[in-house]
Amino acid sequence: MWVMRLITTLLCGMVLGVSPTVLAASSGWQPAKHLQAELVSEYQTVQPGQTLQLALHFIPDEYWHTYWINPGDSGLPTSIAWQLPTGVTAGDIQWPTPQAFSIPPMMNYGFAGPTLLLIDLTVPSSYSATTLDITAKVDWLVCEEICIPAEASLQLSLPVSSSAEPSVYGQSLVSQAKARQPQTLAITGFYDIAGDSFSAAIAGLPDDDFQQFFVSATELVDHAAPQHVLFSEGEWLLRQKLNTYFTHAPTDFSVVLVSANGQSYSVTLQAAAEAAVVSSPDASQQALWLVLLMAAAGGLILNLMPCVFPVLSLKALSIAGNTGQQQQQKRDALWYSLGVVLSFVALASVLLALRAAGTAVGWGFQLQSPILVAALAYLLFALGLSLSGLVQFGLGLMNAGGGLTQQKGAKGAFFTGVLAVIVASPCTAPFMGGALGYAVTQPPFLALLVFVALGLGMALPFLLLAFVPGLAKRLPKPGAWMDTLKQVLAYPLYLSAVWLAWVYGRQTGIDALALLLCGAVALAAACWLWGRWQLRREGKADAVFALLLVALALSVLWMATPKLAENSSSPEVTQTHWQSWSADKHAALLAAGKPVLVNMTADWCITCLVNERVALNTDSSKAALALFDVTYLKGDWTRRDAAITAYLHQYQRDGVPLYVLYWPGQPAEVLPQILTPDTLRQTLERLSKQ
Amino acid sequence: MKKMKLLALAAAALFAGSVAAAPQVGQPAPAFTVKDSTGQVHSLQDFAGKNVVLEWTNHDCPFVVKHYNGNMQQLQKTYTEQDVVWLSVISSKPGSQGHIDQAKSDELTTSRGAAPTAVIFDEDGVMGKAYDARTTPHMYVIDKAGILQYMGGIDSIPSAKVEDIANATPYLANATKAVIAGQTPDPAVTRPYGCSVKY
Repeated sequence: MWVMRLITTLLCGMVLGVSPTVLAASSGWQPAKHLQAELVSEYQTVQPGQTLQLALHFIPDEYWHTYWINPGDSGLPTSIAWQLPTGVTAGDIQWPTPQAFSIPPMMNYGFAGPTLLLIDLTVPSSYSATTLDITAKVDWLVCEEICIPAEASLQLSLPVSSSAEPSVYGQSLVSQAKARQPQTLAITGFYDIAGDSFSAAIAGLPDDDFQQFFVSATELVDHAAPQHVLFSEGEWLLRQKLNTYFTHAPTDFSVVLVSANGQSYSVTLQAAAEAAVVSSPDASQQALWLVLLMAAAGGLILNLMPCVFPVLSLKALSIAGNTGQQQQQKRDALWYSLGVVLSFVALASVLLALRAAGTAVGWGFQLQSPILVAALAYLLFALGLSLSGLVQFGLGLMNAGGGLTQQKGAKGAFFTGVLAVIVASPCTAPFMGGALGYAVTQPPFLALLVFVALGLGMALPFLLLAFVPGLAKRLPKPGAWMDTLKQVLAYPLYLSAVWLAWVYGRQTGIDALALLLCGAVALAAACWLWGRWQLRREGKADAVFALLLVALALSVLWMATPKLAENSSSPEVTQTHWQSWSADKHAALLAAGKPVLVNMTADWCITCLVNERVALNTDSSKAALALFDVTYLKGDWTRRDAAITAYLHQYQRDGVPLYVLYWPGQPAEVLPQILTPDTLRQTLERLSKQ
Repeated sequence: MKKMKLLALAAAALFAGSVAAAPQVGQPAPAFTVKDSTGQVHSLQDFAGKNVVLEWTNHDCPFVVKHYNGNMQQLQKTYTEQDVVWLSVISSKPGSQGHIDQAKSDELTTSRGAAPTAVIFDEDGVMGKAYDARTTPHMYVIDKAGILQYMGGIDSIPSAKVEDIANATPYLANATKAVIAGQTPDPAVTRPYGCSVKY
C-alpha cells in the first residue's frame, strides 16, 4: 500500500520536476521496518502569525507498538528533533492516552495501531519567506516482542500566504488525534511517597468511574504492580507500589486517568509535602543561619502576642517612668534581654534534659498541665486587678514573680524578662512550631542556639528603645496619663486570663472551669483585702484572710483538676472512635493491660489519609476495635510534634504513617504502612488467639 | 462494596508480590547458582573477595548492539584486568530473541572480541527475576563483601545510537571505579534502558 503511494508521489514529483513534498500537507509515507510514518500539517497553506498543529502519524504492523512519554519497564518514547526556519518554534509532543502492554513480569506503556502524536507549530507574524520548510528527525522504537529502533527525516514544505488554507486530510487527522488524547484538566492533585508506595489524591475530577492510571514520570511506580483506584469523600485516591529503580520524586508531572467507558483525563500532580504550609520535610536541611533568623523573627513576633503584650506594657510603663536616665534604661534593657534569653535557655535545657531522659514531651509541655494553665490565669487576673487599682501599692504585687518584676533596677528588669517568657510559652508552640521542631531534633548545642536566637528576637524592641535615643525620646513624658494607661492596660490582662481559662476549660471540662472561676473570685477578694490592708497598714486579719483565700483558690485547682480531666475524656470516645495520642495516656493504657492501636499521621500525608479511609474509618474496623476493646490513639504530626518524633524514633521511623498495635502480653506489632480493609481485623484476630 | 473487594484483592496481590524482595543497593546482592556457557556452575559466594559486574545481554537487541560496537568490550577488558569478575547473563527463554547455545556463545565472544569472565545461561529467568533485571543491557555492581552497590543503566542517554555513547555519563564505569576504590557509587541507582528481557 505505502509502496504504491510512494511510487505515485515520486512519479508526480519527477513529472513536475520539484521535490515530492511540495504543495502537500503530508510528508508522504516513510517506510521502515514494521512501521510507516508520515508528518501531516493541519493547513496546506499557512499564514504568518499562525499557530497550527502537525500530526506525526505512525502505522505499525499488527502486534507492534511504539512508546509513550513514560515507556514503562523497557522501551523508549518517540522523540523529534526539529529543523525549522528562524523564528518558527515547535512545542512538546502531545500524547494520546496510552495503552498498557503487559509482558510479565514487566509492563510497557505505548500505542498499537494507527498512532497520532500532535505538535504545535508557531509561525511568527514577521515570517516573510514564501515557503515554510519543516524537517522532523523522528526517532522511535517499535517493538513486538523484539524491538527495532529507527529514525526518519520527515519533510514538509508549506506555501506561506496571507490567508491560511486548511487541508482536509490534515484536519481530519488532527481531530482524530485530539479525540484520542486525554482531556487536560486545570486541577492539581497531590502525591506522596511513603515506605514502598506511591499515593495520590485528586479532587475535582468529573463524575466518572475511573479504573486505571498512567503516571508520566519514569521509574516512579512499579508499572506491573496492581493499581488501587478508589473514590472516597470527593477525592480519587490512587496507589501503586514504588519502582525498584525509584531514586527521587519528580517535582511535578501528570497522571492520566482512564474511566470504565474509556474517557481519559490528564491532571498535574504536585508533592503533598511541598504543599504543606506548616512543616516541610526539608526543615532539617535548612541552613542553620536561616533557622536562627527565623527563630529571631519568631521571637520578635511574640511581642505582639496577647499573652506577652500585657507584660511588655508593664515594662513600657517603667521605661516611660525612667525617661531622662539613659544609662539606667540601657542597663535595664540589657538585664531584661538577659532575663528573656536565660529563661528560654532554661526552658530549652529542661526540654533537652527531659528528652535525654527519654521522656517524650513536646514543646508547650508547660501548658499541657492544666494546673499550670490555671495558675497563669490567676497570675494574669491578679496583675490585671492591680492595674485596675484594687491593690494599692503602685504596680507591686504580693506574688513573688510579679513582685520581682516591679523592683527597680537590674533585678526588676531581669524578672520582667523571665515573666515575659513564661507568659509567652502558650504562644510559642503554635507560632514557632517549625523552628522548635528543628531545635528539638538537633544536638543540644544547636537547640540551645535556636532558643537564644528566639530570646534575642523577643528582647529586640527593648534593646532598640534603650539604645536608639531617638526612639526613647519619642516616648511621652510621665504624667497623669500614665495612671489612665495603667488602668486601660488591665483589660488585655483580663482577656489573657479569659483565654487561659478557656484553655483550661478545654483541657478539663465545664465543672473544673467553674471551680477555676470560683478560685478567681476568691483571688479577687484576696486582692481587695490585701489592698485594704496596704492602705491602712493595720488590721492583720485582712492580710491573713487574704492569704487564706489565695490558698483556697489554689487548692481548688489541686482538688478539681485531675478528677475532672479524667471524666472529660469520655464524651470524646462517644463522638469518634479514636482519641488523640499522648505519651501519658498511652502509658496509662498499657499499664492497665488494655490493647491499644496507635496511628501516627499528619494532614499532609496522603498515604495516611488513604489508609484511614480505606482501612481504619470503615465500619468493619470500628466494629473490630469495639469487639476487641481496643483503644485507638491518633497522634497528629502535622506540626512535627517532638513527642511523636521521639515515638517514631522508637520504631526506627523518621516519618508517618506508623501503625502500632499493642496486645497485652505480646511485643508491639508494627502494621504495614499500606493498610488493607482487613489488616486490622485479621491482626487483632491473630493476636487474640496467641 | 464491589470496589472494596477489588481493592482487597489487589492489595493481597500486592503483598504477595512484594514477598520476593526487590534488590536494594547497600544490601546483600540476591544469591544465585547458575551455569555458564561451558556448563560450569557459578554461585555468588564463589566470588567473595572479588568485585562483580553483572551485565544482562541479548546479542540481537539493538541497545546491546549499540554498546557492543566497542564500548562494552572495552569495559569488560578494563575491569577484568583489574580482577573484576564480569558475568554476561542471558535470561532469554528458549525460542526467544537472544537465547543461544554454547557454540553460538563462543562464536559471539570471538567475533565481537568480548571479554567477560563467563557467559551465564539463565534460561528459566530465576537469576534475572531475583535481580529484577528488565532490560538489555541492565548493569549491576556487587562489591567484595557481596553487597549490591550499583544497579541500573550502562549510561545516561537512553537511545539505540552509537554516537550518543560519547556524550553520555558512563554510569557503570563510574560505579565500577568507585567500588574498586572502596567507595559508594553516586548515583547508585539509575534508570535501566533497552529491550525488555525475554523471560
